[in-house]
Amino acid sequence: MKDTAIRPPLTLRTRDALVGWLFVSPITIGFLIFFVGPLVAVLGYSLTEWNLLTQQSTFAGMDNYADALGRNPEFWTVLRNSLVFAAGLVPLNMALALTLAVALSRPFKGVVIFRTIFFAPVVTAAVAWAIVWTFLLQGESGAVNQMLALIGIDGPNWLRHPDWAMFAVIVTRVFKTVGLNMILYIAALQSIPRDYEEAARLEGASGWQVFRLITWPLLAPTTLVIMVITVVGSLKVFDHIYLMTEGGPENGTLVLAFYIYEQAFEFFNVGYAAALAVILFLLIVLLTITQVILKQRGGER
Amino acid sequence: MKRHDKMIKRLIGASALAAGLCGTPALAEELRFTVWTGSEAHLSMLNGIAASYTEKNPDVTVRFETIPFADYVQKITLQLAGGNPPDLGWLLESSAPTFVDAAVLADVSETLKSTEGYDFDDLSQGAMGLWQDGDAVYGVPFSTSPFIVYYNASLYDAAGLEHPDALAAKGEWTWERLKQDAAALADAEAGVWGFQSVDGQGYGGRAVHTLIPMVRSHGGDAWADGTCGWASDEAVEAVSLYHDMIFKDHSAVPPGEQGDFFTGNAALTVTQLSRVSKLKDAAFDWGIAPLPSGPAGEASVIGQAAIVAFAQGKQTDLAADFMAHMTSAENVAIMAEFFPPARNSVLEGEAFLTSNAAVSPEQMKIVANGIANGAVAPGHVAYPQIESAMRPKFDALWKPDADVKAVLEDVCAAIEPLL
Amino acid sequence: MTRFQSPFVRICWYLSLAILAVPFVFPFLWMLSGAVKSQTEIFSPSLSLLPQTWHWENYAEVFRYQPFARQYFNSLYIAVVVTAGSLFISSLAGYALARIRFAGSGLLLLMLISALMMPEEVTIIPNFFLMKWLGLMNTHMPLILLPMFGSQGVMATFLMRQYFTALPPELEEAARMDGLSRFGIFWKVALPLSRPALAAVGIITFLFSWNLFLEPLVFLSDIELFTLPLALSNFTDAYGLPLWHLQMAATSLAVVPILIVYIAAQRQIVESFALSGVKG
Repeated sequence: MKDTAIRPPLTLRTRDALVGWLFVSPITIGFLIFFVGPLVAVLGYSLTEWNLLTQQSTFAGMDNYADALGRNPEFWTVLRNSLVFAAGLVPLNMALALTLAVALSRPFKGVVIFRTIFFAPVVTAAVAWAIVWTFLLQGESGAVNQMLALIGIDGPNWLRHPDWAMFAVIVTRVFKTVGLNMILYIAALQSIPRDYEEAARLEGASGWQVFRLITWPLLAPTTLVIMVITVVGSLKVFDHIYLMTEGGPENGTLVLAFYIYEQAFEFFNVGYAAALAVILFLLIVLLTITQVILKQRGGER
Repeated sequence: MKRHDKMIKRLIGASALAAGLCGTPALAEELRFTVWTGSEAHLSMLNGIAASYTEKNPDVTVRFETIPFADYVQKITLQLAGGNPPDLGWLLESSAPTFVDAAVLADVSETLKSTEGYDFDDLSQGAMGLWQDGDAVYGVPFSTSPFIVYYNASLYDAAGLEHPDALAAKGEWTWERLKQDAAALADAEAGVWGFQSVDGQGYGGRAVHTLIPMVRSHGGDAWADGTCGWASDEAVEAVSLYHDMIFKDHSAVPPGEQGDFFTGNAALTVTQLSRVSKLKDAAFDWGIAPLPSGPAGEASVIGQAAIVAFAQGKQTDLAADFMAHMTSAENVAIMAEFFPPARNSVLEGEAFLTSNAAVSPEQMKIVANGIANGAVAPGHVAYPQIESAMRPKFDALWKPDADVKAVLEDVCAAIEPLL
Repeated sequence: MTRFQSPFVRICWYLSLAILAVPFVFPFLWMLSGAVKSQTEIFSPSLSLLPQTWHWENYAEVFRYQPFARQYFNSLYIAVVVTAGSLFISSLAGYALARIRFAGSGLLLLMLISALMMPEEVTIIPNFFLMKWLGLMNTHMPLILLPMFGSQGVMATFLMRQYFTALPPELEEAARMDGLSRFGIFWKVALPLSRPALAAVGIITFLFSWNLFLEPLVFLSDIELFTLPLALSNFTDAYGLPLWHLQMAATSLAVVPILIVYIAAQRQIVESFALSGVKG
């Protein structure tokens, strides 16, 4: 109290600034230490040749990047796998999510039960989901192949076959995460006023026309959000790969996020792994920006 | 700057402690010892040895920590890199050159040679090869264990087939014969396979251990003197035999399937003596036999594991002292129940043959012969890299229409730069 | 209520939904079934959900095989600490970013938003060495700190900010007239009004922590300190052969309680996720 008497009282603005920074200081400090710092550090690491076992590191300039982009053909396999994974997962996930959402956005008897079912894997640990599906997808004796045998299909050895492993991982991952996108779409669908649709119907539009000309454009903002979340989610997939295929067979499911872990913590190449992390970072930034720009352009038209 | 560092460290560390969320701090005199066995029989034996050490050194306790085999090397490395090293641990022959080369193992020669009654020269020189560098000693093998065949005698009898050990005595136990037996004993209806790879891991972490006995008995090898041997005619012939067992005879457990010998779901398997502990409650009769011979005769393969102390540990002297205790003649004789020893005096003694109640002296002879005539499984300074390079290439083998020769040439192309 | 044009349409409708539901339901059933089968039966070619003989002892075996109760507790308390801490930190910061005008807030917000999408794989290697330097290796601290301050914490802050931004300012004006401090307004007025957002952020944060896998994998080595996801990935015999019966029993124990809570609070949980996506 005395202090305020001597010094001129703080203006509201200054006080607000103080309180504001005080309020944001925990997250800001933590964010700087555990996120921004490491992000800068990983750039530094990527310029070194660093062995995790011997703990020796030497400056290597751009060697790690040269290794990844030029000398090590494995990198291109990994990058291709990551893109194949995203290209397979994103459309499948979004199409299924939208289908389910359209089916479950209007009330009917049992609708809550179905929503609950399709959303259940979202709250289930990814580790548990991947483990149970690994069990279901065992070669001959796996439940999936036994079911297929009932209808006369001789199922492949899903997780051991280079052509099928990627497919199996993508599909099981879609089952795991599609519920979230479904919910987002349902929320968006329910916020569309019924009048629009009814008006269109009165004009004689078919169900498909209503969807294509009215519903789908109105869903565009949601679609963008879902797309960004799903694309990034597909690039960071780790636990499914770690538990179901370990990147195999024949490196067929070796994706970037898993490759980073493997290089750093299994083969001890810290510098090379850091360079891969930087590449993953750039890839995500690039893809996110591209999508937002594309959508904005589309929105303007 | 350093002081600054320390302050930040303390601040963050203190707030962490204040939150009371830190792990339990280790006791000053506790030795942490990593192993890859989870078997109760093995652990109680190890704990017995630790207890006898605690008796002599009341303020020292030893805690054995199990890390599953498949992740073992990786987890140890992570602990070393994370500044949280175990004091002692088991290490497999394939990792020896890498770890010795990386200078992460403590040199224990002084402790061993100065410990009274240790008798360092009793350790077999052949077995010590991987773990010595000049005068420095980086580990003492506790297990020099040949790969042997386990067979399900109940299944053999039901099928009226002659037991493998009897065949071996007549010199008729060959890989061809094993292949025939496996085909005859496989019974898909009953969920029984003919042959299981080493610990069921033949398509993953134990691919080399599974294939090398076949390859060597055909006269080939994985690599030697910087040259890859996987693509040699001998190796191709051996691997083709196994490939046929999986995809033509449908007798070997294929990749992605599970048929465990130890639960009665496979008639034959190749592995080591220590797995006897898994047969304690077996609902079937079983026997053991030497590895089958091939066109190039018999080729016994030894898997070796040693006890090492980690140089980064905080109590390396104590760790070395415990190592001396654990590998003394007395304790090596105890461990011989599961882990064939590297001490000549124990190996040659009659006591070794009767060290495991579940294994008859005749069967133990098979093990002893395997050690006497065996060669250690392949190792290399760059083993982790070689393994990672081989793994995706080997994957291509496990398809019905794989071209074995072409795949093995691919394997060689992938690892040759590393050899 | 959607009215079906004919009984045939109604049957087709339910049948196709039921078929679509199979890959979402069957894994849970097969998991529960495997949990009570014997190690031998689990590999016999049969699609029977009921075991030939019931092996309830698989559940007991899980606790003997690993310190599973301890691991369960670890996951629970870490998730609670992360959730509580994250709620406090993120609502405080979210409030300031939404309600208080101060220099640099725009820049800070931009920085946080740009981190929203960054996966932990990008920063895991430096964080490994940071935790080593701090002496926090093989403790639970990395599992608490990283979710709280990494992209998950940022997401929580962002969600709270969005919610506070939408609150009518009149409520605060009244409180300010009554002489409440900024913190008082935040604590006594804004927070109680933001229960739905707090619930949403709480639920999402809890599940995020509960499911965390990469961090425990990298930072923990002591089996007593393992969290559930890491423990679940550890049900092989020592030589690497999966023990499917124990694996399924352990997985059931980890999954079923969460599913029960989910079914009981289905509406609330689903809405929380919907909120996160709509605002994010």
